Amino acid sequence: MSAVCVLTPIVISSWPAISTAILGVASTMGYTVVTTEKKQKKLFAPKQNSIELQMENSEVLEESFGSGEKMIIEKDGVQVEFSRTPKGTCSICVTGEKQSKAKLKEIGEEISGRVIQQFAYHKLMTELKDRGYAIVDESVSADQSIQVRVRSIE
Amino acid sequence: MSNPEFNITIDKKGKLKVEISGVQGEECMQLADLIKNIIGQEESREKTSEYYGPGSHVQIKATVQNKHHS
Repeated sequence: MSAVCVLTPIVISSWPAISTAILGVASTMGYTVVTTEKKQKKLFAPKQNSIELQMENSEVLEESFGSGEKMIIEKDGVQVEFSRTPKGTCSICVTGEKQSKAKLKEIGEEISGRVIQQFAYHKLMTELKDRGYAIVDESVSADQSIQVRVRSIE
Repeated sequence: MSNPEFNITIDKKGKLKVEISGVQGEECMQLADLIKNIIGQEESREKTSEYYGPGSHVQIKATVQNKHHS
């Protein structure tokens, strides 16, 4: 190899692209989509056990995100709500009756990381394909990292 | 003739490690720039020995010392 680069994704995109990544993660992690509707009432009472965190290096483009839009996924009594903050970042609210705040934070950080992973994968593959590259090989390892080998076909 | 190839690892937190092969010199750096522009934030970039392949301009000056042993 000629060079090795280490990079951190910046998730700046329209809501449809981000929600696609969320759907992909929900599917692989066994979550079901509860709702993607606007102004949906929370399924849990407001004072339920919950934590909120921001997806790192994220920005949801305003023109593609109407007010009140959100996506909620659920698994084993844990509800994860994705929405856009007034500052434009992607907010993740994790709610669960039986889990500690520390556990809810762990779940939120894991899902956030996986959404960023999916977003980065799809963005990179789309851009490289547009530039004449093709996937030669890809796999997912036991630690949930994605390995892809891409080669120029031009 | 270059034959660019990327070996990409994306961990479960979204961090990427990209190994670029099949190209040398400036063309390799252009591909690294391309990846950076797509992904966003580059934390590190390391050139390997393959980078300094036949395509790069490297000058080597060598001197030979004659030593007389009596």
